[in-house]
Amino acid sequence: MSAAKLERLLNLTALLLETPRPLSAAEIRARLGVYPDETDAFRRAFERDKDDLRAMGVPLEIETVPGVVPAVEGYRIPKDRYYLRDPGLTPDELAALRLAASLVQLDGLSAREGLLKLGGLVGDTGDAGDAGVGLAVGSLPGGNVAPLFGAIAAQVAVRFTYRSEVRTVDPYRLDFARGRWYVSGYDHARRAERVFRLDRFESTTEALPDARFERPAVAVPGVQLDPWKIGDGEPVEARVLVDAAQAPWIVQHLGPGAVAEERPDGSVVVTMAVTNRDNFRSFVLTFLDHAEVLEPGDLRDEIVAWLEKQAA
Amino acid sequence: MTSAPGAPAARTSASDRVARLLAVVPWIAAHDGPTVDEICERFAVSRRKLLEDLEILMLVGVPPYTPDTLIDVTIEGDRVWLRFADVFARPLHLTPEQGLALVAAGAASQGLPGGDREGPLATALAKLAAVLGVEPGEAVSVTLGETRPGVLEALRSAVSEHRRVRLDYYAYGRDERSSRDVDPHAVVAHGGAWYLHGHCHQARDRRLFRVDRVVDVEVLDATFDPPPESEGDTPLVLGPDVPRVTLELAPAARWVAETYPVDDVSDTEHGWLRVRVAVTATPWLERLLVRLGDDARVVEADQPAHEDAGPVAARRILSRYGAG
Repeated sequence: MSAAKLERLLNLTALLLETPRPLSAAEIRARLGVYPDETDAFRRAFERDKDDLRAMGVPLEIETVPGVVPAVEGYRIPKDRYYLRDPGLTPDELAALRLAASLVQLDGLSAREGLLKLGGLVGDTGDAGDAGVGLAVGSLPGGNVAPLFGAIAAQVAVRFTYRSEVRTVDPYRLDFARGRWYVSGYDHARRAERVFRLDRFESTTEALPDARFERPAVAVPGVQLDPWKIGDGEPVEARVLVDAAQAPWIVQHLGPGAVAEERPDGSVVVTMAVTNRDNFRSFVLTFLDHAEVLEPGDLRDEIVAWLEKQAA
Repeated sequence: MTSAPGAPAARTSASDRVARLLAVVPWIAAHDGPTVDEICERFAVSRRKLLEDLEILMLVGVPPYTPDTLIDVTIEGDRVWLRFADVFARPLHLTPEQGLALVAAGAASQGLPGGDREGPLATALAKLAAVLGVEPGEAVSVTLGETRPGVLEALRSAVSEHRRVRLDYYAYGRDERSSRDVDPHAVVAHGGAWYLHGHCHQARDRRLFRVDRVVDVEVLDATFDPPPESEGDTPLVLGPDVPRVTLELAPAARWVAETYPVDDVSDTEHGWLRVRVAVTATPWLERLLVRLGDDARVVEADQPAHEDAGPVAARRILSRYGAG
């Protein structure tokens, strides 16, 4: 980019930040005095400049210039929407953010620009590089994650196509788990909270600036990924015996709180709260003959009946 | 506000340079004469570029563009002062992308073993959440993968110190537990799980291990020469010698095609899908078939034993239940 263009973009930003009322394109041209004289060339250059500012996230607003007949469009940049509120980060905090950003990288999203705005790159990144832990946190399917995050922050509803249906949702939170992004929120048509997988979005995410919402008073729980807990019924507590070789894995997966009994041979009995019996069966069967449902009897019988049908 | 994908590179760099200046100016203005070196390091910019940019700044201001309304740049003895830069007193707000990148990186980093849940990262994220207008710790959660306590830390330090490790490893596909000596090359998170890339001395070849299947790890005294940079964590691909089975999947079992690498996918009648999958180990196929029940049919198998893997596994599990 030429120095002249850099200078022009900075002066355009400053002019539109300082102006007390929206300025028409003609006024901007006259005040800056750096655009081409020829009308078409001016329009092209001005359009490109506006695109550049918007691409950076500059909140360029279009309003009618007051007191002019016939009506003329004018431009301004509201200071309250332009300026970053100062989070008041200490050098330690800025360094901690930088270290986190060097450890965990989201494909297609750079934390660097944000860090520069917050006060620059402070501290060092330790041995993150040496230890081989530059972590790719999955790709961002269809670029929907950032717009959803923006809508969560702005507390405005979003519209997207999901399973061939246009949904309107108040987005509450994003979860990245088991390799996928999920958004939880209130589905207007279903009048209930729902969870959506971002890799199943069939459209981009459109924010609806006029559809503001209040966040629920109680914390929104994270996405529920344990398949045997999906469903609304009264949970049944199942007891499952898992062999020694597989025991460490199930304990890690369910957490130590789930262990009801540790047997001398290294096997464990774990408890699981089941609201989805099909998914429970499917999960237990991943252990093949290394796990056995002990109780309750009807769950055990269901699994035996299922297996007898397969064995035939 | 996203920059249009595929926009010309020149356009991107235009925005980049303006964006950087809009961040640099408020910082210099708020400090009493920082040095050129300090600014360059903090904002990752070369000395030449910074001096060029500062020169342009002298031509920037607000109407009527008199000397007291143009930014005043003073460079003296390698220190820089800015005056009359009030219009750029604060940096441009964070875009959703920039906010997300920081919050997600912070949330993921907190979830790592030894992650900072109370220290400067935690307070930084709380302050950032307040500025962005989201609930701290609630708007974005990132779980990179489960591991047993201590395992990930031990593997990471072994990678950086080039020390051999002895793994107590549960191979899920083969459904067997074994001890492996491995030269650990890299630890990466991918698809919601942690993986260890390394050279396995039992297999005498490179292998990929799921860290959540590592029951225990012992860091040995033996060291190894790390592989060339590019080879440490390149993906391993399934060779053509891995036997395949052809399955027909009911609509309810279509997730199999989304979850595992499949080829030769074709639609059959009533919404069923026909796919070919690689069977790296028989227990993997058994598991899939006993779970799917009537929703999957084996149509063809390279290995005869794979043809009735489902019923065979079902009978074996039944015997555990004292039935069948």
